[in-house]
Amino acid sequence: MASHRGDEGGWLCQNNYVMSPTASAKDTRERGAWVVVPLFNEAEVITEVIRGLCQDFVHVICVDDGSVDNSVELAQAAGARVLRHPINLGQGAALQTGFDYVASKPDATHVITFDADGQHRVVDAREMLELARRKRLSIIFGSRFLDKRTKPGLKKRIVLKVAVLMTRAITGLRLTDAHNGLRVLSMEALGHIRLEQNGMSHASEIVHQLAKAKLSWREYPVEVLYTEYSKRKGQSLLNSVNILIDLLVR
Amino acid sequence: MISQWVIAAALVLVGVYLLKARRSPNQQAIRRLFIVVALLGGFIAVLFPEYTNALAGFLGIGRGADLLLYSFVVFALFYAVYQYRRQLWQEKITTDLARSLTLTQAALEDFAAQHTDKKN
Repeated sequence: MASHRGDEGGWLCQNNYVMSPTASAKDTRERGAWVVVPLFNEAEVITEVIRGLCQDFVHVICVDDGSVDNSVELAQAAGARVLRHPINLGQGAALQTGFDYVASKPDATHVITFDADGQHRVVDAREMLELARRKRLSIIFGSRFLDKRTKPGLKKRIVLKVAVLMTRAITGLRLTDAHNGLRVLSMEALGHIRLEQNGMSHASEIVHQLAKAKLSWREYPVEVLYTEYSKRKGQSLLNSVNILIDLLVR
Repeated sequence: MISQWVIAAALVLVGVYLLKARRSPNQQAIRRLFIVVALLGGFIAVLFPEYTNALAGFLGIGRGADLLLYSFVVFALFYAVYQYRRQLWQEKITTDLARSLTLTQAALEDFAAQHTDKKN
């Protein structure tokens, strides 16, 4: 059993690379920010993603959305605290469940959303958190379009641009990357979020609700790693039609 | 033609219902009235076909059969939209239920973990 029961009553990440039996006293990992990872059938990559996160964060929460492979066991073995939906509801629903859980933790200062498919870099999450703390910002959105590191294909670029334009039209927030799963939210920002879009439309919904709350926000350049694996799971252009309808019909 | 306005207005109303309907006793009352009116209209159309023809003529549709077809389309559309909204409400309820189950289980596990810690 790789999870270690912590003094706050939560499961703490135990990572073989970082923690020797005596190292717990000088554990310098981040404790205030809780990472929420929505999980659905990602057995191929989840172990590595969770291990990476656990090197830097004490609280890594996986919300399993009814996976039918062994993602849950792998995530647990890698050190995550796994919450399980009894049925598949969608990524938006998984995020909201994670948010509710973190909101019940008095020591939490921030929530970081992080995709389970290995496309985000932990170092980006850490830098975004640091920026949020230093500048006292409520929300940091990761954006892959602020610099040239990320190289999506032409099709992906069009899909994401359409999403950005749609999000701008609906929310008025001038983001460069509307559908990046990497975000840092303060607990104050979290209080303004109530995701009702269970499916993939939650990304626009988060922006929408945060725009209404008029909190301080910023985008931060991140690199998105397009592996063969994550490319297979990409969204289609037609899905932006779904997102539009989802946001209009509620 | 009056008919064009009537049918267009009916379609707009269905669209408004799609976007704006909220779950409330008023909504339910409107829906039920709709069904009662449709039933009564159906009876009248069956018993007195000449009325349908007269109404169709008044609206500028021509034949009573066409009037029936048009009303059928509008009612069917309304029903589809109503079912769609109902499904959204249902999904929301299911989500809330599943989430509270998940969080309750998590809280129990956390509590158990804490408890074990104290005993050790």
